[in-house]
Amino acid sequence: MSKQPNPTESSDAVGSPNQVEPPRWADRLLTWFVAPHLLEYVQGDLHEAFHRQVPQVGLVRAQRAYVRSVLSCLTPFFYRRRPNEYPSPTNLAMLTNYLKIAWRTLRKQQGFTIINIFGLAVGLACCMLIMLYVLDELSFDRYNAKADRIYRVQSDIKFGGNDMHFAAAPDPLGPTLKKDYPQVEQFVRLHQRGTWLVKRAGETTNLREANITFADSTLFDVFTLPFVSGDPKRALAEPNSVVISESAAKRHFGNQNPIGQPMVFENTKIFKVSGVMRDMPQNSHFHSDFFLSMRNDDYPWGQWLSINHHTYILLKPGQAGAPTDPAVFAKNFDTILKKYVGPQAMQVLGTSMEQFQKAGNQVKFWLLPLTDIHLHSKQQVELAPNGDIQYVYIFSAVALFILLIACINFMNLATARSANRAKEVGVRKVMGSERQQLIGQFMTESVLTTLLAMILACGMVVLALPSFNTIAGKQMSIVQLVSPYYLPLLIALPIVVGLLAGSYPAFFLSSFQPIKVLKGGTAFRNINRSFKSADLRSGLVVFQFMMSVVLIVGTIIVYRQITYIQTKNVGFKRDQLLTVNGVYSLGKQAETFKQEVMRLPGVVSGSISGFLPTPSNRNDMAFFAEGESSRNKGVNMQTWGVDYDYIKTLAMQLVQGRDFSRAFGADSSGIILNEAAVKVLGFKDPIGKRVWRFDDPQGKTQKTYTIIGIVKNFHFESLRRNIGALSLVLDANSGAASFRLSSTNLPTLMKEVEARWKQLAPDQPFSYQFMDDSFDEMYRAEQRVGTIALTFAALAILIACLGLFGLAAFMAEQRTKEIGVRKVLGASVGSIIGLLSKDFLKLVLISIVIASPIAWYAMGQWLEDFAYKIDIEWWMFLLAGLLAVGIALLTVSFQSVKAALMNPVKSLRSE
Amino acid sequence: MKKTILGELEELVLLVVAASTEDVYGVPVMDELQRLTGRNFTISAIHTTLYRLEEKGFLSSSLGGATTERGGRRKRLFAVTASGGRVLLEIQQMRQQLWQAIPERKFQLLGI
Repeated sequence: MSKQPNPTESSDAVGSPNQVEPPRWADRLLTWFVAPHLLEYVQGDLHEAFHRQVPQVGLVRAQRAYVRSVLSCLTPFFYRRRPNEYPSPTNLAMLTNYLKIAWRTLRKQQGFTIINIFGLAVGLACCMLIMLYVLDELSFDRYNAKADRIYRVQSDIKFGGNDMHFAAAPDPLGPTLKKDYPQVEQFVRLHQRGTWLVKRAGETTNLREANITFADSTLFDVFTLPFVSGDPKRALAEPNSVVISESAAKRHFGNQNPIGQPMVFENTKIFKVSGVMRDMPQNSHFHSDFFLSMRNDDYPWGQWLSINHHTYILLKPGQAGAPTDPAVFAKNFDTILKKYVGPQAMQVLGTSMEQFQKAGNQVKFWLLPLTDIHLHSKQQVELAPNGDIQYVYIFSAVALFILLIACINFMNLATARSANRAKEVGVRKVMGSERQQLIGQFMTESVLTTLLAMILACGMVVLALPSFNTIAGKQMSIVQLVSPYYLPLLIALPIVVGLLAGSYPAFFLSSFQPIKVLKGGTAFRNINRSFKSADLRSGLVVFQFMMSVVLIVGTIIVYRQITYIQTKNVGFKRDQLLTVNGVYSLGKQAETFKQEVMRLPGVVSGSISGFLPTPSNRNDMAFFAEGESSRNKGVNMQTWGVDYDYIKTLAMQLVQGRDFSRAFGADSSGIILNEAAVKVLGFKDPIGKRVWRFDDPQGKTQKTYTIIGIVKNFHFESLRRNIGALSLVLDANSGAASFRLSSTNLPTLMKEVEARWKQLAPDQPFSYQFMDDSFDEMYRAEQRVGTIALTFAALAILIACLGLFGLAAFMAEQRTKEIGVRKVLGASVGSIIGLLSKDFLKLVLISIVIASPIAWYAMGQWLEDFAYKIDIEWWMFLLAGLLAVGIALLTVSFQSVKAALMNPVKSLRSE
Repeated sequence: MKKTILGELEELVLLVVAASTEDVYGVPVMDELQRLTGRNFTISAIHTTLYRLEEKGFLSSSLGGATTERGGRRKRLFAVTASGGRVLLEIQQMRQQLWQAIPERKFQLLGI
């Protein structure tokens, strides 16, 4: 059948070379993808067709046609390889073989194995912890069955030069929305009342309970809060009823059934327990143990101009199960403003809504999805401190970084060892291993390593979880590790990491040509160079250290900022300042208590006041300068009721004027402003000027104050915010008592103070704080970030150094003979250490150069969040760089010193 | 029976190979097809068809000589096998039967 090639034809073929050639790259492409057994004929035909076309259509068009035909060959038929003539053993048999060999290899090179497994385990453990954290943050409020349809109404108000963003809404808004708009299925309003004294009726001893919340009876229609006993439909519909949590029931009633039992709040208000609900989930943006029926909240109802109620609405499902579009729905708020807010503004302020807006003021309502509240809301008067999506991003990035660094170690060490394994590959290939089998073997090895690392990592997570919880301020449990969200990730992680980390070494090692590696010596060095594996390794080391340096710089800056916050002069003295909570529960005896405590040795002065300079929920009130005719030009100020000793006790500074004094009888209508308030009011010479405000919600009566003093600006909110306008007035308001102490023997003093309290109010719980503690509380989030950053930076560096350590060990081993020869020829120990360390130092220096701008940018973004912040300075980068260099040097020097001190006789004996 | 099913291109290629006096390879088959049908065929289509016909046993192949035009690469030459010839005959017979079954007046009715 077959015809012998024509001899003249073939000799002709070898003889004359062609002048014109098809495009080189297309030809290459063809060679690359067409299966070897087809290549010769296909390429031959293509070339023939090409050469025949050139005289007909010209070179350019022929080339274009050639490319087209090459591309048309991109079909499975052309790249499908011919099945092997010799069938490979079944996969399962091969897999056990892979495992066996992988296990032997791992055991043979224990040093590298330990470094690999430990490094990966730390990386994986970090990743798992952070995944837990991130999943927890993302899970907020999703426990609600209707979470995707619940929205909170937010109010943005611009008035009197103040721009305010509230998480709450006016009290009539919720009912009005329900009444006027059929899209609104239900609404619920919450009104948080802070910490109250609570007891069972008939008991004498109160307990302090945080987060007492008034709520509409519709609460349980909107939020998913399962009941233990009682009827959720009717629980809050009855006046004077309260729904308590399971743990609160336990605290107050023990094992008794609380349903129907009366409870006393603040020693005066009696509510009957109508339901017991399960404790609210941890991942909720608000928490409460007591929901009281809203109708009994002693609040002036129907106020469109005061924003006090956290209002949630449940939108009806729209077409095809999708919820009503909130953006579309929000347009209705314009109508609400015109219809309801406008008339009341007219009544109180005496101006129409249009004039009000023309004067630069604004009222705006908008909807925020429930599930966005925890991570995205940055409004004022939130029900509880929220998380921040920024930190979720940062932590995820850090986890990824650390895992990447660990993977890079893995790849780096594997590539570095390629010299040793090249021979193995060569022999295997000669013995008939196919490339795929080799890849399979190396992959098995890396997945096995990762699995071992994963087991170790799980152990680490279990051990580290309690401390991580403390750092992150969460209560995550190990049970969450096997939750349906987490488990798939947990299983996928080692496999993905194993394949990822193993892919490069597997493909790299299996690509060796047996003939080259088995010839040995120089030939191998050539292929190693041709693969540029050294360059790649350097690149990876640079990348690792770059990430480490970014983390170090980040840590330094976070810590500097925290120290800055903690040591910043906030305008009052916060050390040695004791505050006793709930003084109002003493009633008229509060003043007696103050006097009694002040008589104690070690107490310098004391004051009873409504507010303290720590963040808390307060009301702003509009003040008007005297003679200001337009009611649109009000200035929103906080007003704190204080006593005569307040400024003295807190050690605030007066810039002008005088403190409140008993010597002046008229001080009850005196007012002390802070510098910010003076600035907004625009007074040049403020002392003696007058300001007034409305004395009632309807705006009928006014109260006028005379400015008697100006207090230096002090920080009463987080340093993230600029200092706002504030005024102090004399008032019998008694939220807390504060005492300036001089004593160093605090335990004895505190016992004394408590004894005085118990004397006056044996049934009221005694609770106190030190101002610096509450101050630190404000920056808990930052401190958390600081601690987490420090921990992870340290871990990242540890892992990177592990890799460096292994690499240095390998390099030293490779160059044993060179070092031996050098020593014999008289090289000093120092010069050999230098020789070995130099290369690594270069890499670390490069990584510092790359990392600095990245760190500078990223940290600049973080600091943007603070109104008061540190500057990023050059020495921070220098310090980070020195740290990185120092650590790297320490790591490498261990190996180089070992190599340099080795007796050359040992290394050279075999030659 | 299934194996004998041929696509249109397969049938044409098989016919071209059968019609040529000697063994042929990709390029001449493509040229001949283009000449006969006036359609443009890509070399990849021709190759896939040739190899598929070989898999079905209608063509056999052997290594042929190289030419300069091909940069010294060899050709894979194709020839019709006995079963290839048989399947062509079968197809022709089947068509013949169908042709004969067409009533004479049909074409006249259609105006052809």
